[in-house]
Amino acid sequence: MTMRMTLLLVVVLVMPGMPARAESDQQTIVFGQSAALTGPARELGIGMRLGLLAAFSEVNREGGVHDHRLRLESLDDRYEPEAAIANTRALIEQHKVFALIGAVGTPTSKSAQPVATEAGVPYIAPFTGAEFLRDAKKRPNVMNVRASYYQETEEMVVRLHEDLGIDRISIFYQNDSFGQAGLNGLRRAVNRHGLSLIEEVYYTRNTEAVKIALLDLRRANAEAVVIVGAYKPAATMIRWARRLNFNPYFINISFIGSAALAKALGPDGTGVYVTQVVPFPLDTTLPIVAQYQKALEEIDGNNKPSFVSLEGYLAGRIAIEGLRLAGPTATREGFLQALIQAGDIDLGGFHLRYGVNDNQGSDRVYLTRINKRGRFQSVEKISAP
Amino acid sequence: MNESPPTESSQDLTESGASGKQVKPVPIEEPGTEQNFRVGVGARLYFLLFGAVVLMGGATVLAYVSFNETLRHEIRLSEYSMPNLINSVDVARKSAIVVNGAFRLVSASSKEEHTAVVDTTAREIASLENTILELEARSAFGEQTRLIRSHLEELGKHLDVIEQSSARRLDIAQALNVFIDELGETTRRVERLLVQAIDDQAFYLVSGLRQLDDKVRPINKRASEDELTAYRNLITVNQSANLAVLLLDEVLVLADRQFLTPLEERFQSAVRNFMHAYAKLPDSMRDDLLEENLTRLDEIGKGPEGVIKLRQEALFRLEQEQDTLSKARTTSESLVSEVNNLVAQINEEAIQSSAASRTAAQTGIFLLILLNVSGTVGAFLLGSLFVRRYLVRRLVGLASAMREMARGDLEVPVQVEGHDIAKPVQGSANYMTRNIRYLIWNDEVTDMARALEVFRRYAHEVQRLNLVEKLAKELDAKNENLEQALENLKAAQEQVIAEQKLASLGQLTAGVAHEIKNPLNFVSNFANVSIELADEVEDLMKQQDNLDIEEIKSILGELRTSLGKIKEHGKRADDIVRSMLEHSRSKEGEWRKTNLNALLKQYVDLSYHALRAEDNSFNAEMKEDLDPNMEEIIVVPQDICRVFLNLVTNAFQAMYEKQKKGNGDYLPELTVSSRQLEDHVEFCIRDNGPGIPDEVRDKIFEPFVTTKEPGKGTGLGLSLTTDILVRHGGSVHVDTEVGHYTEMRVSLPLEPPAEALSSTENGTE
Repeated sequence: MTMRMTLLLVVVLVMPGMPARAESDQQTIVFGQSAALTGPARELGIGMRLGLLAAFSEVNREGGVHDHRLRLESLDDRYEPEAAIANTRALIEQHKVFALIGAVGTPTSKSAQPVATEAGVPYIAPFTGAEFLRDAKKRPNVMNVRASYYQETEEMVVRLHEDLGIDRISIFYQNDSFGQAGLNGLRRAVNRHGLSLIEEVYYTRNTEAVKIALLDLRRANAEAVVIVGAYKPAATMIRWARRLNFNPYFINISFIGSAALAKALGPDGTGVYVTQVVPFPLDTTLPIVAQYQKALEEIDGNNKPSFVSLEGYLAGRIAIEGLRLAGPTATREGFLQALIQAGDIDLGGFHLRYGVNDNQGSDRVYLTRINKRGRFQSVEKISAP
Repeated sequence: MNESPPTESSQDLTESGASGKQVKPVPIEEPGTEQNFRVGVGARLYFLLFGAVVLMGGATVLAYVSFNETLRHEIRLSEYSMPNLINSVDVARKSAIVVNGAFRLVSASSKEEHTAVVDTTAREIASLENTILELEARSAFGEQTRLIRSHLEELGKHLDVIEQSSARRLDIAQALNVFIDELGETTRRVERLLVQAIDDQAFYLVSGLRQLDDKVRPINKRASEDELTAYRNLITVNQSANLAVLLLDEVLVLADRQFLTPLEERFQSAVRNFMHAYAKLPDSMRDDLLEENLTRLDEIGKGPEGVIKLRQEALFRLEQEQDTLSKARTTSESLVSEVNNLVAQINEEAIQSSAASRTAAQTGIFLLILLNVSGTVGAFLLGSLFVRRYLVRRLVGLASAMREMARGDLEVPVQVEGHDIAKPVQGSANYMTRNIRYLIWNDEVTDMARALEVFRRYAHEVQRLNLVEKLAKELDAKNENLEQALENLKAAQEQVIAEQKLASLGQLTAGVAHEIKNPLNFVSNFANVSIELADEVEDLMKQQDNLDIEEIKSILGELRTSLGKIKEHGKRADDIVRSMLEHSRSKEGEWRKTNLNALLKQYVDLSYHALRAEDNSFNAEMKEDLDPNMEEIIVVPQDICRVFLNLVTNAFQAMYEKQKKGNGDYLPELTVSSRQLEDHVEFCIRDNGPGIPDEVRDKIFEPFVTTKEPGKGTGLGLSLTTDILVRHGGSVHVDTEVGHYTEMRVSLPLEPPAEALSSTENGTE
């Protein structure tokens, strides 16, 4: 997607929110999002925003929640922690948002979430599986939708080790808190299976300087490489590996941005795995996915379903569910308590359950693979090529 | 004032002359008729008032003088001392602000704050100069103000130096902030480019590949000395650039100017190193963006307006400012001490003004209090000595004498102090003292006292004559009134008793009717029998041929018996009626020997039947325990029968009420008994009625107290009973228990009272 198209999209997507903005503040509940809308991670921020808008427009068309319209206020943080802090402050203090939603990234969340926690503002569905956000005692305002990186890496190890008997597992990670989160999860997962990582290599954030790391992986003769990074350097690394005829199993963590990865890999993408934390976005047998596709089409027919915007949509839907449960005079605390006490929440086949000291809604991890045509397909197991 | 005394004295003369003539008829000693000079009451009052006016005038003059003096000091204080004091305090305050300005300039952290401090300080200096000018214009503190001004000038110079230097320092700080941001950006770009280049070169050395679609270079080509040198130079550029950035970071936080020089040396060598290494890179690895950023790094560090130079200047200026600041502090200390001197002097002056003003005010107040006290004492003496002792007391004496006389008491002679004063005869003993006394007491009051005394003597004589006649008349009138009242009272009493008798008669009517009805029935029945017997005789008599004499005799015998019965019962009815008549005879009853047992029985029957006539459902068991040996005693029978009637009727009615209210189990029972004791007889009438509660018991013998429903009783019954018994020398006692019984015990003496004896004797005669 080119930059121009993105801008156009953003402008178009803002439109459904406009009528709500015109109404009095009492009838509008504003949600704030600080995410990368430009820069290398922009696909993720834009995707999350798209899904959130789809969910909000859908509910606004039906008359809102308890007669309140929902509105999304998104600010660009370029995946920079400093900007995320400034944005979060602005959203809370100037835009008076009810809650923050759909933040993207681990380092950004790590910086912005304390701001929200201090202000007592709910921090809903950040697009990251970092473990620290799952500590509900220290962060009572955080409500996660997705499974954690620990669970994703656990699933990876289970599939590799139990399905294929692979022991020589290595990691290629981005040298920051996101990569570190993935690294910690993976180490824990392999240790649980009595293994250890045979090689741990990293690359510098916002560069594609990945090739030395690739050489290390090859020298270690890794059978599987777990990638915890951004799609561009990951794609570069995989393509060079293919060039060197080094073909281990490549398994990416959900944060990668699946569509962008497939596009960047082109024909080299065949057989690359990505673990997902939301259902396959084309699987309309699930009611939630069908609703999502319809909501997506309603705001703009040009949008293709994607894992990221589906996650955004689910984030929007859980926010709506919380408001609905909390009643017409919902306070922030009431909203959080409503979700905690709701028990099993069934969003059309996607189940979430919160509880006291449990702020993670879904524990599901889905496995997908890029096929020969460069498309993702849902798979149950990793299979030999 | 001048005219008054002669007028008054002439009046005095005429008045006293007149009184002298009028008194003549009664012989009274007449002292002081021939005085030729006196000071009258009017003259004395005018004299005192004049004294008071003089005192007040003095007070006014004194008040005026002392207030004027106070005012003069106050004006000086408010027009001169106070403004000076205010100005001097103002000078102190503004000096403090100016002195403080220097410190605030040095510590200002932004351009805005700096400008604000400069503005404030300049304004305060200008205003300070104005205030000092004002002070100089008004007073003689030339020396102090000159010193203050010179210190201020010096301080102003220091301030200018600090102001300019700190302004420049803040500009530098701003420029450095811009550099810090740029340095961060530049560093990140350099790092990204170098990391990428190093990664590419290292990969090439190992794999022989630069692009994905390149062919693999053989090992001897790719691991050439040139390629390895290039790799080493890339590493050197990266390391040196990092080092340069670190050194600049250190420069930015360094506080000691001296240490800047070695840092600058090391930065220069780092720059030389990465520039040198970059220059030796092969063309393919050179990158415009990288070169541009490396050059910029050099400029940021050691350009003429670079981080190091700016930091050096800033630190240098800060040191200079500290120096100037310490000079300014010395100057400001002198300034403050001079200002304090000034304030102290002016304060001293103000205190003096204020003290003078206070002294004047205090003197005034003291004098006024003195005058006031003497005025008050004067007024008191005036009031007490003249008005009270001399005038009022004598006038009161006169007035009371007059009041006594008006009340008719003419016995006491009029005596007022001085009324007996006489003009002393020249040469007599104590002539002087007596003359003074004469002057004091000889006035109009003395005249009035004498005149009144004359009047009193006249009146006393007249009164004595009138008094006796008047008293006799009054006594007669009062006696008449009393007799009339007594008569009315008797009539009322009789009326009440008659009514009570009538009431008991009414009560008895039904009982009497019942008593009479019985004999009348007998009379009627025997009359019928007699008529039949007569008819039989007549029939027998018709049979002339066969006249049965025996039979006729027998029938006539029966007829006689029957008529005897009629007579007997007729007499019984007659007795009843007679006893009724006796009872209701309203004449004063006569004392007679009476069988009280029979009387009691009779009235028990009457009362019982009277009640049954009202409600024949009422039944009572009656028990008698009468002493058969009781003597007849002398009483007024129709009074005693009222006693029995009252008591028995009360007993029946009480039981009747109890029966009506209670359940069917209750059986009324009346017990009457009599006993003859040593010197009196006693009758008991006991019922098993509801009894009498304590709170009523004490009051039942009082008139108009009744426990019956309104209309059923007069409330006089027991009261009359008591009266009657007391007249007979007897008494009545009540013994009762609520819910169980009431027993009335009547006792009468065997010996009747003296009244009865005399009346009986009369009656027998």
